[in-house]
Amino acid sequence: MLTLSRADFETILQHCLRELPNEACGILAGKSNKVERVYPMRNAKPGPVSYEMDAEEQFRVMKDIRQKGLAMTGIFHSHPSGRAFPSGIDVEKAYWPGTELPNYPDVVYVIVSLMDREKPDVRGYSIKEGTVKEVSLNVLS
Amino acid sequence: MAIKVRIPTPLQKLTNGKAEVECAARNITELVDALEKDYPGLKERLSEGGKIRRFINIYVNDEDIRFVNKEETTLKEGDNVSIVPAIAGGC
Repeated sequence: MLTLSRADFETILQHCLRELPNEACGILAGKSNKVERVYPMRNAKPGPVSYEMDAEEQFRVMKDIRQKGLAMTGIFHSHPSGRAFPSGIDVEKAYWPGTELPNYPDVVYVIVSLMDREKPDVRGYSIKEGTVKEVSLNVLS
Repeated sequence: MAIKVRIPTPLQKLTNGKAEVECAARNITELVDALEKDYPGLKERLSEGGKIRRFINIYVNDEDIRFVNKEETTLKEGDNVSIVPAIAGGC
């Protein structure tokens, strides 16, 4: 389970809506599967069906997370017109190429489906050991 | 020349679980070779045909080597090298 505050949940949603029609992305940081900070990130390859975090920004944010004594707990991105489930590319990019070694084994991949923009569908997944498993998201009121 | 190298989680199986290792090298090409010598298998994971794989970002201190001198980026005693896999996807 990944726990996050309502405010953090809204920050994720607003970033995803703001970046439409392109995919949005970001990093979640915290401790013990509890999100304490949301980093909306720049999509360096903007498009309606792709994202790649800006490398420099990613490096800076990962350093900031370490310096704050936190851990990367999640990676989020949007599917502007797809469902809230990891695509083949999402799964492929979660692993070191040519291996079954997950790049970030301890993170929850959060996917925001904006197929229904009035009612976004937000779900979490672990992608490792060759499988995709849904991880429940606990949004605190 | 001792260079500290931060190893990403998926490659730590090749470094006996170490998240940080040290090696001596004058540039990134030499660094990859030095890592391979100490931890066989790392070179293939990091590079192909002498070039760093595209999805891997390498930083010397805070500088992305792509914006310095790529594989020929020079290293000096006390430098910190970070190997960071890109985060990407798409539907």
